[in-house]
Amino acid sequence: MRVRPTIAVSGLFAAMLFACLGQPGLVQAQTAFDLEGKSVDPLAAAGGKIVVLVFLRRDCPVSSRYAPIIQKISSEHEDDVRFWLVFPNKTETSKTIQKYLQDYGYRLLGLRDPEHVLVKLAQAETTPEVAVFDHNRHLVYHGRIDNWYVEFGRPRPAPTTHELSDAIEAALAGKPMTPSAVKGVGCYISDLE
Amino acid sequence: MNSSRSNCARWLSGLAVGACILASAFGGRAAQSTQAANSNRPQVTFNRDIAPIIFHACANCHRPREAAPFSLLTFTDVKKHARQIAEVTRTRNMPPWLPAPQELKFADEMRLPDAEIALIQKWVDDGAVEGAASDSPPQPKFVEGWQLGTPDLILTAEKPLVLPPQGTDTYWNFVFPIPIQEMRWVKAVEIRPGDKRYVHHANILIDRGELLRRREAEPGAGFGGMELRIESQVFDPDSHLLFWKPGTVPYVEPDGMALRLDKGTDLVLNTHLQPSGKPEIIQPSIGLYFTSQPATKLPMLLQLENDTKLDIPAGTKGFLVTDEFTLPVDVQLLAIYPHAHYLGKDIQAFAVLPNGTSKTLIHIPQWNLNWQAVYRYAEPVLLPKGTRVTLRYVYDNSDENPLNPNQPPQRVLAGNRSSDEMCHLWLQVLPVNYDPAQRDPRMVLQETLARHNVEKNPNDFEAHYNLAAMLQEKGHLDDAVREYETVLRIHPDDAVVNNAMASALLALGRAEQAVVYLRAALKIRPDYFEAHYNLGNLMASQDDFEGASEQFRAALREQPNDANAEANLGSALAELGKFAEAKSHFERALRIDPHHSLAKENLEELQRAMSQR
Repeated sequence: MRVRPTIAVSGLFAAMLFACLGQPGLVQAQTAFDLEGKSVDPLAAAGGKIVVLVFLRRDCPVSSRYAPIIQKISSEHEDDVRFWLVFPNKTETSKTIQKYLQDYGYRLLGLRDPEHVLVKLAQAETTPEVAVFDHNRHLVYHGRIDNWYVEFGRPRPAPTTHELSDAIEAALAGKPMTPSAVKGVGCYISDLE
Repeated sequence: MNSSRSNCARWLSGLAVGACILASAFGGRAAQSTQAANSNRPQVTFNRDIAPIIFHACANCHRPREAAPFSLLTFTDVKKHARQIAEVTRTRNMPPWLPAPQELKFADEMRLPDAEIALIQKWVDDGAVEGAASDSPPQPKFVEGWQLGTPDLILTAEKPLVLPPQGTDTYWNFVFPIPIQEMRWVKAVEIRPGDKRYVHHANILIDRGELLRRREAEPGAGFGGMELRIESQVFDPDSHLLFWKPGTVPYVEPDGMALRLDKGTDLVLNTHLQPSGKPEIIQPSIGLYFTSQPATKLPMLLQLENDTKLDIPAGTKGFLVTDEFTLPVDVQLLAIYPHAHYLGKDIQAFAVLPNGTSKTLIHIPQWNLNWQAVYRYAEPVLLPKGTRVTLRYVYDNSDENPLNPNQPPQRVLAGNRSSDEMCHLWLQVLPVNYDPAQRDPRMVLQETLARHNVEKNPNDFEAHYNLAAMLQEKGHLDDAVREYETVLRIHPDDAVVNNAMASALLALGRAEQAVVYLRAALKIRPDYFEAHYNLGNLMASQDDFEGASEQFRAALREQPNDANAEANLGSALAELGKFAEAKSHFERALRIDPHHSLAKENLEELQRAMSQR
């Protein structure tokens, strides 16, 4: 388990961070896209609600197995938390994502993040991982959803910790989440594509 | 009149059996990559160094329509998952192979050599370079569809299972009636378990009495359950391990080792399924490949177990269970199949030969039910008479075992649910160096095993029952009757035992006593074919042909296509002077089995008698 300090992500800070991490000479706008191809900033679009970014890979069975759990937690907080399903694979298309969301019964919006703008913002490394931002766009928690998977290929009969739910409760109450980060088990968000 | 059914019955635990073979479609790559790891080449490349490893060790499952979630057939495929591959090979989660290296080699071992793992790490560290196209190995070739060509008989589950999107693992059984009109020899079985991505393993149980289908809510619906037991009416020990896990290619039995499949047998496919996040349709099929070569070598499955010792206190970390069995005959060990549930941790079996040498048969240091498998030895392992085989399983019922189904931990006993535990080990053995004029060595094994189990569990119903059945088969009828008395003290209300006791008494000529047990069996189970049949024979032997014909009719209501019952009904009716009716039953017996000699002889005699009238 690795614990990182909570970081504040203001608009300005985020912009600077991107500028630093972006490849030199790249003029292309660094942004995530909705499934219609429009540029989206999920934090700005949340209108001050709590935001949860869920990082998924279609070809990662661990992320897929979480679909009912993610859908359930999001339904429990329909009014006060905005969920986004983020697909960071560069080769992913809106069409394949749309089909996936339909197959797995998601009623949540999908985003493409080919430039890993949100991946960096959320410090995501694997799928499935989540990032929870509070009303002030502070990253309250990032990492695993719960401890269902002990390690790759070894799920418990049922999870015994529930980090995502706890982090949402903490964010709603305006309290810090401890721990603020727990490494996820699943599939690497590829950096070698 | 046909003799009574001896009912040398045997009970066996539902077992997961199988010839599991992992395809190794590509040979001769290990040397190449090992060499690469040791050389001073500046850079590891995909085409030269990595592709041969991936194509050999991963691609068989990582390709379309196979068990793995993504393909690993091209540089682009592999690069996309490079870091993941580096990690899961380093931790040895992939390829899935649980046994530690040992002297006795398994066929189609999936364990990656250390050098290959190191090479993969280096390749990823170096930036996952593709390398020169000229270094690229040929694309792997796979057979699509049925691996051994079109099977002689394809059985498909009548009703698919809809696997729910979430929840705990599902254990589901599909029943496949076999539409064959006569006995067939089977040289290979291919299991296609449905959508391979969601089936963790599957194994076939041979249900020679069509008993398990009674558990289906409606015919073809299948039924839930992780572990099954089948009661067998004749001495017909299971002989083959018919098992599927991801990557398995069907195994063709060597000449003379075919599996006998009788008319009226069901195959029951026991599957372990994992929810995927969305509903999945699972509809397995089984392909059978027949041969005209009958079995001349008769292997047998030996089970070591010690479930009664499984009473694991909550919080116990290193709970040890052992069982030991000394072989009464020389055998070749062909395959091994260990089985425990989620508390199993360190799973071991070893053999101490009469000359004192010890051989590890299998050692799985970190058991994982999800990757359980049948392991076939690369070469048969000779275990001479007097070899002591030991199983040694260690269980972890503490909260440090993340797979513990109970949080907080609770006392766990043996049982069939996944939250219960098991301590089983199956060995597929082929008796060798025996005198064919002597008793069938499988019966010697079975009797020795039954005695061992009675010693181990003096109050165990099944152990006493199996011993009684073996004694009866051996012709030691008085001993058998004594054993059946013990069995009936444990379970007085078991119809099968009452019937078996009766058949032993009948063989001793003690009909008066036998009738009591047969009536008891029928009171417990009015639809019990065997008991009706035996009671019919008993009544006929006492010249009560009216009563006998009634019993044979009752038997035929249960099994309308039993040629013996038809022939015996004909005989009883003939004795009653009902010739026309008798004739129709002899004829029907001959339609069911044209070679039925008793029906043929009696029919001829009846026709002579009728013509003399």
